[in-house]
Amino acid sequence: MKFTENWLRQHVSIAEDHQGLLARLTAIGLEVEDVQHWPACGPQVIVAQIIRQTAHPTASRLRLCQVAIGQGKTLQVVTGADNARPGLRVPCAQVGARLASGLVQSRAIKEVPSAGVLCSRADLGLEPHSSGLMELADDAPVGQPLDDYLGLPDAGITISLTPNRADCLSIRGLASDVAAACQGQLRPVAVPTVPIRHSDQLAVQLQVPDTAIRYCGRLVVGVCAQRRSPDWIQERLRRCGIAPVSLIVDITQYVMLEVGQPMHAYDARLLQGPLGVRQARPGERLHLLNDRQVTLADQVLVVTDADRPIALAGIMGDWTTRVTAATQDVFLEAAYFAPTAIAGRARRYGLQTDASYRFERGVDPQLPQQAMAYATQLLLEIAGGKAGPVLELTQIKQPIALPPAIRLRADRLTSLLGIAIAPERVQRILVDLGMRVQPQDFGWVVTPPSRRFDVHGEEDLIEEVARIWGYDQIPLSTVRVSGRGAACEQPRLGDDVLIRQHLVSRQFQECIHYSFLDKARLSQWGFDLAPVHLVNPLSAELAVMRPSLLPGLLASVQQNLARQAEQIRFFECGRVFCLSAEDAQRPRETEQLAAIVCGNAVALQWGEPTRSVDFFDLKGDLESIAAFCGQAFSCRASATPPPWAHPRCTAQIQCEGRTCGWIGQLHPSLLAAYDIRLPTFALTLQTELVMRQPMKAAQTPSRFPVVRRDISILVSQTCRWEAIARTIWQVAGPLLAELKLFDRYCGPGVQSGQVSFAIGFILKDNTRTLIDQDVEQAVTTVIAALAQEHGAVIRSSTPQ
Amino acid sequence: MTAILAGRFACGLSAQERSGDDVTQYRQSEHSNLLVAIAQAPTLEALEALRVTWLGKHGQITAQLKQLGLLPPAERKSQGQTLNRLRDEATAAIASRKQDLAQVALDHRLASEQVDVTLPGRRAEIGSKHPISLTLERLTHILSGLGFTAAHGPEIEDDWHNFEALNFPPHHPARTMHDTFYVDQGHLLRTHTSGVQIRHLQNHQPPVRMYAAGKVYRSDADQTHSPMFHQIEGLLVDEHISFTDLKGLLLSVIEQFFATSLPIRFRPSYFPFTEPSAEVDIAWQQPDGQRRWLEVLGCGMVHPHVFHHVGIDPERYNGLAFGLGIERLAMLRYGIVDLRAFYDNDARFLRQFV
Repeated sequence: MKFTENWLRQHVSIAEDHQGLLARLTAIGLEVEDVQHWPACGPQVIVAQIIRQTAHPTASRLRLCQVAIGQGKTLQVVTGADNARPGLRVPCAQVGARLASGLVQSRAIKEVPSAGVLCSRADLGLEPHSSGLMELADDAPVGQPLDDYLGLPDAGITISLTPNRADCLSIRGLASDVAAACQGQLRPVAVPTVPIRHSDQLAVQLQVPDTAIRYCGRLVVGVCAQRRSPDWIQERLRRCGIAPVSLIVDITQYVMLEVGQPMHAYDARLLQGPLGVRQARPGERLHLLNDRQVTLADQVLVVTDADRPIALAGIMGDWTTRVTAATQDVFLEAAYFAPTAIAGRARRYGLQTDASYRFERGVDPQLPQQAMAYATQLLLEIAGGKAGPVLELTQIKQPIALPPAIRLRADRLTSLLGIAIAPERVQRILVDLGMRVQPQDFGWVVTPPSRRFDVHGEEDLIEEVARIWGYDQIPLSTVRVSGRGAACEQPRLGDDVLIRQHLVSRQFQECIHYSFLDKARLSQWGFDLAPVHLVNPLSAELAVMRPSLLPGLLASVQQNLARQAEQIRFFECGRVFCLSAEDAQRPRETEQLAAIVCGNAVALQWGEPTRSVDFFDLKGDLESIAAFCGQAFSCRASATPPPWAHPRCTAQIQCEGRTCGWIGQLHPSLLAAYDIRLPTFALTLQTELVMRQPMKAAQTPSRFPVVRRDISILVSQTCRWEAIARTIWQVAGPLLAELKLFDRYCGPGVQSGQVSFAIGFILKDNTRTLIDQDVEQAVTTVIAALAQEHGAVIRSSTPQ
Repeated sequence: MTAILAGRFACGLSAQERSGDDVTQYRQSEHSNLLVAIAQAPTLEALEALRVTWLGKHGQITAQLKQLGLLPPAERKSQGQTLNRLRDEATAAIASRKQDLAQVALDHRLASEQVDVTLPGRRAEIGSKHPISLTLERLTHILSGLGFTAAHGPEIEDDWHNFEALNFPPHHPARTMHDTFYVDQGHLLRTHTSGVQIRHLQNHQPPVRMYAAGKVYRSDADQTHSPMFHQIEGLLVDEHISFTDLKGLLLSVIEQFFATSLPIRFRPSYFPFTEPSAEVDIAWQQPDGQRRWLEVLGCGMVHPHVFHHVGIDPERYNGLAFGLGIERLAMLRYGIVDLRAFYDNDARFLRQFV
């Protein structure tokens, strides 16, 4: 909401200066967003009239003007403006005036003396840019200082209004709040009495019985619509950010700004009648005032003429019935439409108008008659014409009632705010806000004015008191809480600060991606989950909720490779989404942790050879996560690896018998789609299935030395390490404490199709020192079992 | 020179040459020579040779000691004392020389092990946490310290939890401030974390102190708006909670977060689920040196309608609630100027946040 300070001050008398006013506005919740200043021009700038105009003797673009400056005096001024013409009244800066361009001096322009400057709006600092002289009204008093004529200096104040404060979308509404905040005096405004000079009316029918509507209409005949709007109206509209259009439109806008009632004017000779208000029928078309054609759907109110739509009710009128310079008879409309009937409708048609903005938030239902009287008065004064009677229809399904009387308890006020405010002050604040206040034993019974339909209950009144009293006047206190807070729970892995720290220590960088993905991109991954689509995405690239963190991470890998990254290690924790398998209607979301690696395994360094990252680098990270969680993960090759993964280099991650994720190389076809040439490896974990285990009782290390024995075996290449390890653990007996695979070899010296594993056994007993016999027995048993179950051939067995 | 001496001792004074009378003849001068030879032994090997010759199983001093028994008892004692003393001296001298030689050898080895300590170390790289995470962690840490515990809610929320229960009836104008992404008829992407308040209050009786953090969504994208951003929300419900507590608590949160005392102001505002409502501004130093008011959070006293929706008696309990935008705070704390940097995931940008 943008308004001018002078206009506001015309309605309220306060002690605060400009800065004080701005501070009070923000302090009462009308946050000042921006202030624009229109400076005073000074007494040397006056209203002048061009009497005579002649060509400049030498410069063809310049003209010599004789201008009247009042009291019979004239000046000769040289101007280059195209719109200079005899009879025109313009601002004239005399010698000594200070304009945006500098001090005005008496000087010769191309050898012709000029005793002043005829001014454009930009010269006067009213606008940053403008072309041509500022044209004043024909009745502008010649000789009057321009500051007096245009009301300068002035300030345009833009406030950010919260949606509950529809009452402040007008000068009158603001003035009332400011009066309360500054303990100032609100100037009373009487509703003008309009003489009724004819009895014609247009019939109006309300055809939406379930919607609260109040409709006021009046026919004014014989107006001079082509007259120019007075400068004071034009200037105020401009300063409030509204471009003047034409007299009748400007008057309706002016009334809206001053009292808050959106109005519309139709050219009555173009109406057939009767008028109506009804729901639009799908497919109906309307040529809007902004010269755009719209096709209507249902659920939007239209004003009709002989059943033909002539306005989107409360939003915008149509083109065909608009008022023009040729208009002679005007039908003025001032209505109340229930906010629910207007909310969201303008946006549906790509519109946002001053009217819809106000109706959506709510307009005082008592306002239409007042606004109609005020607008008629202005119209008759400026454009002439004869007014007919006001037709008023009120349809009250949900009653357009006054706000209810509310009980305000003094002790509730004190306990909620934490301070005691003197009862007289509370009462004064409420009265200043236009409320009717009746003191009671418990406090007050308060009836808000009709414009404050946002005030429903006691808490609203308490906020009003606190707001005007001043939030900054309320002291601070330290919270005293009763009872105990909830016990601290084990954080979820996804929220766990420590797991992030762990990954950071392992050289991972944390990423955060949008939760939305490109549908086309997503199809390249072949996830088997039904994705969740947005009904109203910002764009096709952001249309699907991610079913996995991997697409986001891979896109970042691609971008960072393009930025010359040589080693990429990214992770992300976040929610992923899919439609539930059981109930296709219900979107399901789970926490996921994902990591992706690409490029060098270790940073380029003098003391270590560089190599490309591989599956086992990432598996080491996975195992470190498992260790961090106090869990053991097992990785199983899957017969049905996901389509995004390399079929031979991918494993299902299992934790406590449940599949909780995947680890593997990304499929070369997928990488090609992302234009990535380096092998890339990724893992995902469903973190809800991987709770961090609290540590069990700590164990005391054995006092006795461990014994290590190494064996080397040959097995078939199809034999999986996990199977060998399982066999060993099954048969080795209780002495086996650790198993270390310290070499895996196939190549020269090993028959093709075979692979050699070198395995270290760490044996221990917590109660005694082991003897050779113990070790021998364990190892022999293992070797026999490996031979039997896996066809293992022993290559060597060495004590360490 | 020492080698020659050693040689002379070795061959000149062998045990065989000695008669029984000579037993005591191990002379002081020979002893002095021996000590000199030990002190000058060039290597551990030479020293060992001296030890074997004189103190070994068949060494000369050992041999003389063995022959003491042949002496008359009177002499035996004095000769024995002398020989033992000489033997102890020689033994000590050898040990000392041995230590010296070991030290020399160690010094020599160390001298050869010169390392260029200015070379870079191995595996020095560490990763980085996202600045959003760092900011969230900082706030959750502060709130935990104030007795708040974490609560969670879904990001795909239903209309009732996101709006209705929070006192946003259908068509409420405040809904237009929440440009909402819809998933289907009943579901939407949560526009704020406030829905978690409702979920928490449905399952917990006062006193309640909880926070909820996470991603929220609004269909708005430009220089200063991201369609996805992060919030943290706090809720405290108890008897005797007032607006003064809200001010005190939030001043503490802000001062802890910025680790400094900043001018702050509470400004009336509007949220359907709190009343009175406020926004809090801090006076923040701009690049041009000027301090300007900058909004950092929204807050208020829980609206009685919210309590009604979750079955809490608003006559008995009051609540305070507040919500902070993480991106804004992260931008202030780290001097980040472009909102888009958060979701760009440029490794060079991320690297700064350890």
